[in-house]
Amino acid sequence: MSEVYKKLERVVSKEYLSKDIYLRHAYSRNVDLVLQGVPDIVIRPKDAQEISEILKIANEENIPVIPRGAGICEFGGSKPIGDGGIVLDMKRMNNIINLDEENHIVTVEAGISWGKLNEYLCHFGLYTGCMGPGSGMSASVGGGISHHSVGGGGCAKYGACTNLLISLEVVLPTGEILETGSQANKYSKFPFNRFGNGPDLAGLFCGDNGIYGVKTKVSLQVFPKPEFAEYKTFLMPRKSAETAAQIMTEIRHKGIDVYDAMFIPDVVIAIGSDQGFFPLWENLKRKRGMFFYTIEANSEVELDENVKKLDDMILNKKSEFLGPEIADGNIAKWHYVEKGHWQLYHNLWGMFPSMQALSAECFCPISAFPKILQDVDQWDIEHEVDMRKIFDITKIRPISGSGPVPLVDGNTVEITTGFVSFWRYYNEEIHEVIKETNLKLWKSLLERVIKHGVQWYMMGDFLSRFMVDIGAYSEEFYNLMKSIKKTVDPNMILSRGKFNFWGEK
Amino acid sequence: MPELYQKLERIVSKNRISNDLYVRHAYSRNVTSNLQGVPDIVIRPKDTQEISEILKIANEENIAVIPRGGGDCEFGGSKPIGDTGIVLDLKSMNKVLNLDTDNLIVTIEAGISWSKLNDYLCHFGLYTGCMGPGSGLTSSVGGGLSHHSVGGGGCAKYGPCTNQLISLEVVLATGEIIETGCQANKYSKLPFNRFGNGPDLAALFCGDNGIYGVKTKVSLQVFPKPEFADYKTFLMPRNSMEISAQMMSEIRQKGIDVYDTMYFMDLIVSIGIQYGMFPMWEHLKRKRGVIFYTVEANSETELKAKVAQLDKIMLSKKAEEFGPEISDGNIAKWHYEEQGHWLIAHNLWGLVPGFDPVDAECHVPINAYPKIMKDLDQWDMEHSEDMQKILEITGMRPITGTGPIILTEGNNVELTCGFTSFPSYYNGEKHENIKEINVKLWKSLLERLVKQGAMFYMFGDILSRHMVDIQGYQKGYYELMRKIKDAIDPKHILSRGKYNFWGTKRK
Amino acid sequence: MSELKHLKKEWKAIMSCMNCGDCGFAIRPVVGRYLTCPVLEAKEEEGFEIYFSRGRMNVLKSILEGQIPLSRELAEWVYQCSECGNCTEVCHMSQNPYIVLPTSNWIDHVKVWEALRKDLVEAGFAPLDRHGDLIEYMNDDNMKNPYGEDKDKKFDWINEFPEIKEKGDLMFFGGCTMPLRQVETLKSMMKILKAAEIEIAMSKDEWCCGSIAIRIGDEKSITEMIEHNIDEFKNKGAKTLFTACAGCYRTWKKDYPELLGYELPFEVKHITEILVELINNNKIPFKEEMERVKVTYHDPCHLGRHMNLYEIPREVLSKIPGIELVEMKRNKNNAWCCGAGGGVKSQFSELALKISQERIKEAVESGAQILTTSCPFCIGNLSDAYEEMDLEIKEKIKVIDIIDLISSKL
Repeated sequence: MSEVYKKLERVVSKEYLSKDIYLRHAYSRNVDLVLQGVPDIVIRPKDAQEISEILKIANEENIPVIPRGAGICEFGGSKPIGDGGIVLDMKRMNNIINLDEENHIVTVEAGISWGKLNEYLCHFGLYTGCMGPGSGMSASVGGGISHHSVGGGGCAKYGACTNLLISLEVVLPTGEILETGSQANKYSKFPFNRFGNGPDLAGLFCGDNGIYGVKTKVSLQVFPKPEFAEYKTFLMPRKSAETAAQIMTEIRHKGIDVYDAMFIPDVVIAIGSDQGFFPLWENLKRKRGMFFYTIEANSEVELDENVKKLDDMILNKKSEFLGPEIADGNIAKWHYVEKGHWQLYHNLWGMFPSMQALSAECFCPISAFPKILQDVDQWDIEHEVDMRKIFDITKIRPISGSGPVPLVDGNTVEITTGFVSFWRYYNEEIHEVIKETNLKLWKSLLERVIKHGVQWYMMGDFLSRFMVDIGAYSEEFYNLMKSIKKTVDPNMILSRGKFNFWGEK
Repeated sequence: MPELYQKLERIVSKNRISNDLYVRHAYSRNVTSNLQGVPDIVIRPKDTQEISEILKIANEENIAVIPRGGGDCEFGGSKPIGDTGIVLDLKSMNKVLNLDTDNLIVTIEAGISWSKLNDYLCHFGLYTGCMGPGSGLTSSVGGGLSHHSVGGGGCAKYGPCTNQLISLEVVLATGEIIETGCQANKYSKLPFNRFGNGPDLAALFCGDNGIYGVKTKVSLQVFPKPEFADYKTFLMPRNSMEISAQMMSEIRQKGIDVYDTMYFMDLIVSIGIQYGMFPMWEHLKRKRGVIFYTVEANSETELKAKVAQLDKIMLSKKAEEFGPEISDGNIAKWHYEEQGHWLIAHNLWGLVPGFDPVDAECHVPINAYPKIMKDLDQWDMEHSEDMQKILEITGMRPITGTGPIILTEGNNVELTCGFTSFPSYYNGEKHENIKEINVKLWKSLLERLVKQGAMFYMFGDILSRHMVDIQGYQKGYYELMRKIKDAIDPKHILSRGKYNFWGTKRK
Repeated sequence: MSELKHLKKEWKAIMSCMNCGDCGFAIRPVVGRYLTCPVLEAKEEEGFEIYFSRGRMNVLKSILEGQIPLSRELAEWVYQCSECGNCTEVCHMSQNPYIVLPTSNWIDHVKVWEALRKDLVEAGFAPLDRHGDLIEYMNDDNMKNPYGEDKDKKFDWINEFPEIKEKGDLMFFGGCTMPLRQVETLKSMMKILKAAEIEIAMSKDEWCCGSIAIRIGDEKSITEMIEHNIDEFKNKGAKTLFTACAGCYRTWKKDYPELLGYELPFEVKHITEILVELINNNKIPFKEEMERVKVTYHDPCHLGRHMNLYEIPREVLSKIPGIELVEMKRNKNNAWCCGAGGGVKSQFSELALKISQERIKEAVESGAQILTTSCPFCIGNLSDAYEEMDLEIKEKIKVIDIIDLISSKL
């Protein structure tokens, strides 16, 4: 290892390279307490060229390289699988390179956060439309692109963040640097379009969970932020999930371009209110599910017209409007105006000390989500025995359910389903059984949801391998994925182990 | 060859395969008279399985296979490069397989035309949004996806047709059949989303010009067609090219979601009127450029608001509005209401007998096109000597310019630029030098545009190879494209020769 | 290689075809366009591009450029076309007078196919066998009709109608199909004319109009025939010649002057043009009808697309008491051919029948109880197809010539 380190030292200046044990542990976890992998080396590269050199060395030495954006993967995707390897901390590469004001295209280094990028854009009256993942205050643009991220706001109107992609600079696992889209023509000065110059090779890296290349530079289409917006929150009637699904479908069928539409299930409201997360809803008599929408417009008349349509649609389903202010219960206002869109998920964590959500976030059709959520409840009951084991230690039984269900591209929703559990270190003791139970339950839940035919976008360590292990991938798709992997990364250096791409090791 | 034919006959019913000389010639050209390639065999496969078997045989025999949708490539992409190979005519795979009315997703066989698909959808109040390419009456959905097609209407709002893609069934060159997107999870019943389950492998086949796989089944997001729409056409002031670009830019700056915006340069308007193409504009005193917009809305109020915003942009730039009717010159109405969107590119052809536009269609940023068009004028002048040679035979000098300039996704336009020439058979005689000059000028023009940084989407035979020959590709990109080609089509069976992927047969 | 005399003259059309393929595949509901080529559709899985215009134009490009020869084999493809001209409609179809697709200036597909057929005949690759027979019969001095019937048989039916004169201003050209195959319709016609008190004359020495030879491309025997026919009617004092056959009508009105290079010395009309005048002048004593029947009208290609006669037959129908005219999905210039024309019926009868069955199904879909048309050739083919169709269809609709339909209302 010391030889690798020496080689790397020749490429990367000292202060951006470390093999310190504490530092390595700082990079050993992501957003769950179940999965851990301690890297050998952590590097904070400065540019594509440096990454290219690092990857060449990694190939010579057959050592895995794990690109890490903000490290917010819920499936352990931005840490090594097993201990070892080089983590590339991309957070240093967070500059805005260019804003093409005329064509509304911003070019950024891939490590920039959605929060920083949008702060920059707002000075020009612009925004990214889809605001990236729910973790967008930290999460990087590169990471978003690697996962087709949604959930940080705006995805009902703009779809997954990969929809905004114009051009990508990528370092392939063997060190070649390439640019996609309009930049494939070497005479193109500024990126202006993704789709052309032959196959859409950018697509290979979109949603790739970091297995095909390291994203270093990203050009995104950005948009003038409309002057007008309205946002309303409604208390749902009984059968809130079904009703919410009906409303979402109707919105799509009527072609109303809502910016966001989101359903918050009954259980979240009930428990959240109990635990004091939602003072804004404390006065509610019935703790049922909530539905909110946000809509934007270029003029007041357009806005009013669409608001009227939406209100008719929603009130018609016996929902109750909660009033315009956040204090009245209008979480939509907080979500849009106060950028709550990047925090909405945070309040699932920390309900109790060390409580954490083991998530099974995925996409499914609008019409399918109520049934899937019901089945998750059913699953919960079926696993009572295991749940009990955790309860015996923590005195709180894990709860299955779903966080907010946002409407995304087309007629799809994201369900942030899962169950809440605890760290194995609980109350000053290590309980190996908690970890084992967590893993067992997590796999079982994932399998259950997979068999509903859902689609995953963040697959990380855990899910990417599990999906392969249980044979859920269609064989032909997986083979194509693998043959491309072999072609671009013959030693399977990059994100080794994801999707069971292990290489010779 | 007879052995190959016998092998194929065991797979395909005899009605669906032919090696007849005349049938082969019927499939030897696309939308340009300059490029020809006569296949050995033509097959009209009936399903995915058959295509898979054909490809396996083609691999055994090392013979090229050329998928052909509507056959409307302007760069000779749906015919063999050189006189050999098997053409797969996908036109008989044209069924609607399923319409998911809940989720507004239609699943079809890839050979269906945009017009047939939209005829089906209109009974449900739906449409594809982006109506495919300008040749959408004939061209297939599979072909549209292979080229990121735009131009058949709606692309200012919906972008290229690949934006609508949910899931794709593709036969790889070696015969494997894959489905993408949500269908990669084998438990997913109906397609509902493209993006996820790992890398977006569908993208490999989007814009691939048919080199990576044969598209057989497509699921597209479709949309409720809004109840309200307005469409207006304006006569441009002086400097119409520059001002049209400013207008398009302003539309984007203000975030108005026009369905279509299209500009006709001065030259098209004046020549078109001169040749009787546009009786509706004959009354014009000044034959200047024309711009039109179409905007849709879900209510009248919303429509009015959008129209007011758009009119303000147009009128503040001194454009003059035509009346509302087609007879008043409102071509936008014809374009939207009478499905003129699938015909508007047609009337460049046939201006004079045998007229053949030699095409350099591409995407460029809005703010770049006025300059590029000026450079094309310059290019035209520089090539006067060659142009003159054509004039000597045909009595008409080729004209360089652009057909409609169409606002597409983001701040892009499609430039349908090129020059008008003639086929080598003219007035009862074959003039080999017309063809030579055409090809020479064509390559020169393409190179000029490549060097302006334009992005091409339809590459076909001539452009895909020329782009590689002049080293227009950035090295890393081309290398990755080649590596993937080698990995999934080791013998370069599929669309052999495109992008100079020749396998071991040549080079 | 033959000299391609006729085809070369059509180079403008051939070289102006841009290969868009709309002549095979266009569906454009706003203008009533639902596909185009009856042969391509009838071929189903065998529908290679050579069965419709785009592919054929490509073959012709290769032929003009000397890459491939004319041959007997080519003729087998070429004659599988009813020359319905529907492809030309699509090719020209901005379908709005304010926008013109300039190809319309150069491309007339039927002219191209006929030029090709002439070259094939001159090179000895055509006529095909059945077509050869027809032409032989037509030229046979004892026949002068393509049905191989005795020359005089065509005039047998006249014996019943002594009121038909030998000379007169208004002369009827009987043609071959009706007198030899659909005599009852001629009797119906006489019933109508008698009721309207119209006198007509006929020649007992009319020959076949020659349509069949022109469609097949055998021009050599045509000139004599044309001259004979024109002389015959001129000498009998015709000021107006009318015919009940759409094919004869097109041939007399369009082909004769084109081939001769001068205008005929008398006017040529179709029976529906005569009938509409009679109806408008209240000359036809219809009986009062209580019952209403839905009728749809099939546009014969030789009347509609070839001669632009769409409205007159409809006007006739709309003025018959008790008739409600309903349109098929594809009508007028978008009408689906019956499949008989261009020599298809005689040489490729199965193909012709298949196309007609498609048309009958379309008529049923329109809700009509009667499918009518004004061409004996269409009637013949539609009736033959009808015979082979399921009882279910037959219970829904009948095929009746417009003349018989009118006569039944007297």
